[in-house]
Amino acid sequence: MNLVEVEFTLNGERQKVIVPPRTTLLEVIREHLGLTGTKKGCGKGECGACTVLLDGEAVLACLTLISQAEGHAVTTIEGLAKGEQLDPLQEAFIEEGAIQCGYCTPGMILSAKALLRKNPSPTQEEIKTAIAGNLCRCTGYVKIIKAVQKAGRRSAEVAAHD
Amino acid sequence: MTEFKWVGKVVPRVDGVEKATGRLRYLTDVGLPGLLHGRIKRSQYPHALIKGIDTSRAEALPGVVKVLTHKDVPGVNGFGIIVPDQPVFCREKVRYIGDAVAGVVAEDPAVAEAALDLIEVEYEPQPVVDDAEKAMTSDSPRVHEKGNIHQEVHVRHGDVEAGFAQADLIIENVYKTPRQMHTFLETEGGLAFYDEEGLLNVWVGSQYPQRDQLQIARVLGLNPRKIRVVSSPTGGGFGGKDEITIQTQLALMAFVTKRPVKLWLSREESVISGWKRHPMTLYYRTGFKRDGSLVANEIKIIGDTGAYASLGGPVVSLAVESSCGPYRIPHVKIDGFCVYTNNGVAGAFRGFGVPQSTFAMETQLEIAREKLVLDPIEIRKKNVLRRGDIAPLGHTMTASVGILNTLERAEKSDLWCQREKLKSQTPFPWKKRGVGVAIALQGTGLGVGIPDYGAAIVELTEEGQFIVRIGSPEIGQGNMTAYAITAAEALGCDLALIKVVTGDTRNSPDSGTSTASRSAYTGGNAILDAVAKLKPKLLAVAGEMLGVDRAGLRLAGNRIVSPQGRGITLAELGRYLREKGLEAGARGNFVWPTADVQIPGAEGLPHLVYTYVTQMALVEVDTLTGKVELREAATALDAGRVLNRQGLEGQAEGGMVMGAGYALMEDIIIEKGYFKTMNLSTYIIPTSLDLPERHQVELVEVLEESGPYGAKGAGEAVMVPISPAITSAIHDAVGVRLKEMPAAAERVYQGLRGEEHGQ
Ligand code: FES
Ligand code: FES
Repeated sequence: MNLVEVEFTLNGERQKVIVPPRTTLLEVIREHLGLTGTKKGCGKGECGACTVLLDGEAVLACLTLISQAEGHAVTTIEGLAKGEQLDPLQEAFIEEGAIQCGYCTPGMILSAKALLRKNPSPTQEEIKTAIAGNLCRCTGYVKIIKAVQKAGRRSAEVAAHD
Repeated sequence: MTEFKWVGKVVPRVDGVEKATGRLRYLTDVGLPGLLHGRIKRSQYPHALIKGIDTSRAEALPGVVKVLTHKDVPGVNGFGIIVPDQPVFCREKVRYIGDAVAGVVAEDPAVAEAALDLIEVEYEPQPVVDDAEKAMTSDSPRVHEKGNIHQEVHVRHGDVEAGFAQADLIIENVYKTPRQMHTFLETEGGLAFYDEEGLLNVWVGSQYPQRDQLQIARVLGLNPRKIRVVSSPTGGGFGGKDEITIQTQLALMAFVTKRPVKLWLSREESVISGWKRHPMTLYYRTGFKRDGSLVANEIKIIGDTGAYASLGGPVVSLAVESSCGPYRIPHVKIDGFCVYTNNGVAGAFRGFGVPQSTFAMETQLEIAREKLVLDPIEIRKKNVLRRGDIAPLGHTMTASVGILNTLERAEKSDLWCQREKLKSQTPFPWKKRGVGVAIALQGTGLGVGIPDYGAAIVELTEEGQFIVRIGSPEIGQGNMTAYAITAAEALGCDLALIKVVTGDTRNSPDSGTSTASRSAYTGGNAILDAVAKLKPKLLAVAGEMLGVDRAGLRLAGNRIVSPQGRGITLAELGRYLREKGLEAGARGNFVWPTADVQIPGAEGLPHLVYTYVTQMALVEVDTLTGKVELREAATALDAGRVLNRQGLEGQAEGGMVMGAGYALMEDIIIEKGYFKTMNLSTYIIPTSLDLPERHQVELVEVLEESGPYGAKGAGEAVMVPISPAITSAIHDAVGVRLKEMPAAAERVYQGLRGEEHGQ
């Protein structure tokens, strides 16, 4: 079978995989590398559950072919916390009650992460637009939006202190 | 007022960190060495006889381990909570396009997929039964031999003709409601395998592991004790994982191959095969006095349950129970029919029949109110049930009744107080705004005549933690956190010391299903019973250890302390109990109270404990396109005592959005038995961009004496009245009265054109 060899960094660690060329980044992350924090709700780019960061930008892992990751840095939900120290977004999601079944949560947090990286104090409208491709059936989004705002404020404070 | 340490406070979810970090393994995330992959061959026709199934070519494909058909089912080839009328694998007939005809188990998912195409099934197509009302006629083709009417419910109370004779105004209409899809983000899936003890494990997200265990046992002809079902955590349920989804087929795959197998439905397959909300047609004739009081209601409800019964009968029963809203109506005649068709399958869904009849009843009331020139709040206040009243079904409302309280609270909401100002703030002259209000009651628990019980085991570990075991699974609703709060409050210990285990037949006792807004109330009561047994025992042993009288001892934080300030840690106590071989746990039980009468032939009717809710909507209608946007919403909810404040708000927020989706956009379209909406690009649910600017949530705590700390359930009611509130608001904005949902742009646009032509 025709295989491709792809090298990329995943959560800061170098990875090399040898897989059929049609393999998606989602399949590599979940099945080949066993990181299941990235979820699959449709596999067709309709739900946002598989959102990961590619060089800091939010992408749908189910629509990304593995070769598109060649030489790039991929961040999944497992790569956000520094040891036991959670990312401000993770903390805010917990504090604000933005999590119910939790299946949308990893993708939601990574879409928000990409937003806050570019825009640390987004408006409600900007947050709504950034997560518009991430479906959540449980929460009604209200507490998710509050959590993103809170995390933005907190990162700004932390940055100001540094 | 009672001071609580945990009850009603804002606390972090007990599973929050695991979910936020992606560490939590959902059952579709679990892998095992040597895992095989299962796939299901589904029907090609909505209705057909099976003339033959040839699996030989599929079996010959390298990598295929086994192809399964009805021949491989050792026990009963059927499942279904009420009647097992749905085949695991169809033998003589297929009844909907999602019906399972065969299963493939292969070494590789791609091979399994390829093998599906090699299975040859010879069909003889039958006429498709696609209209529930036509299906009821005697000359309709039959979906099942016994006829197309699965179940009927008839309620007679008072004298309906005498009631109409007293009426000054009679309103008569027909309503239709859409087929909503649960759209849980995690599709149905999981794995099955034999463990070291020889138990067949079936790990699939669902709402009731013990019942899954029985249904699997019946199919396999196995002792249920030989099966372990794990069903927590689950990536959303909403009723759609109450019935069996894939468990029987998956269990059979592992049972036959004796190897671990994974089966996980694609989104399209989930859409086609999975349960939906019953579309209903509702005939209403309602009599009012000039002052707005309700005197009579004659109702006929037809629910399309699709190919198999599942909980269709009880769903129609609940639609009947709520068909008069939370109102006093002395004379009623209500008939409900649950009907088989070839339109997919319908079953349990948050609200369970109540959203359908609430939409109809609230619209009836609004039409009358307009004709009688009455205020929307006043006409409701005049008619609502109060404690001690006789409900339309004939039973006495003996439990707490908070509907009036929710109306009074909602009346003070910003949306209502500022409605005139809000309505005038339209950005463009072609956009018109309107407001609407609607109210509802939702029965909680399973109701009269259905065994409804809970159980909890609370035990102290050697590490000084309390483990709370309750079978009802965590499906996202937050029952684990509610259990932890209830246990910590009753024990008097830190919340962080409580560890909750749910959804596992081996490690948590049967406490019934996570449905019917019942899990916090049922499990909470069982916890209180367990703690009442456990705590005195613990204090007695602690007294022995400290050499003091147990009377003055109390639990505080992670210690048991005496009035003199002496104490031991819970870990010390836990270790002591273990060393001495003493019992460190207790089991608590709870049985639901039930109403004083039973409606014959109606599964579970009536209920005794109800949740009450008032919701309001401000909408903006684009008169050029018919597009409706929800701009503001308000919810006033009586779920009794608030156990978990943030959790309850989250339910109200999520429920409101789901109800708004039902009102405005959601409908699975099936034509002649074939699905036209197959995925999340064609079936649209609300996104963050569909949110109103504001949703005010008010929690009205009318205490329910039978509930833990006075709490009742909440999960369902919160999605119910928002839909008629939205359609009433549309009428207020542009004068279009919708009797069919969803209020999609095309439908509203047609209404607008109709109005112009004076229809
Ligand atoms: S799984 Fe990638 S968008 Fe749904
Ligand atoms: S928390 Fe369940 S889908 Fe978002």
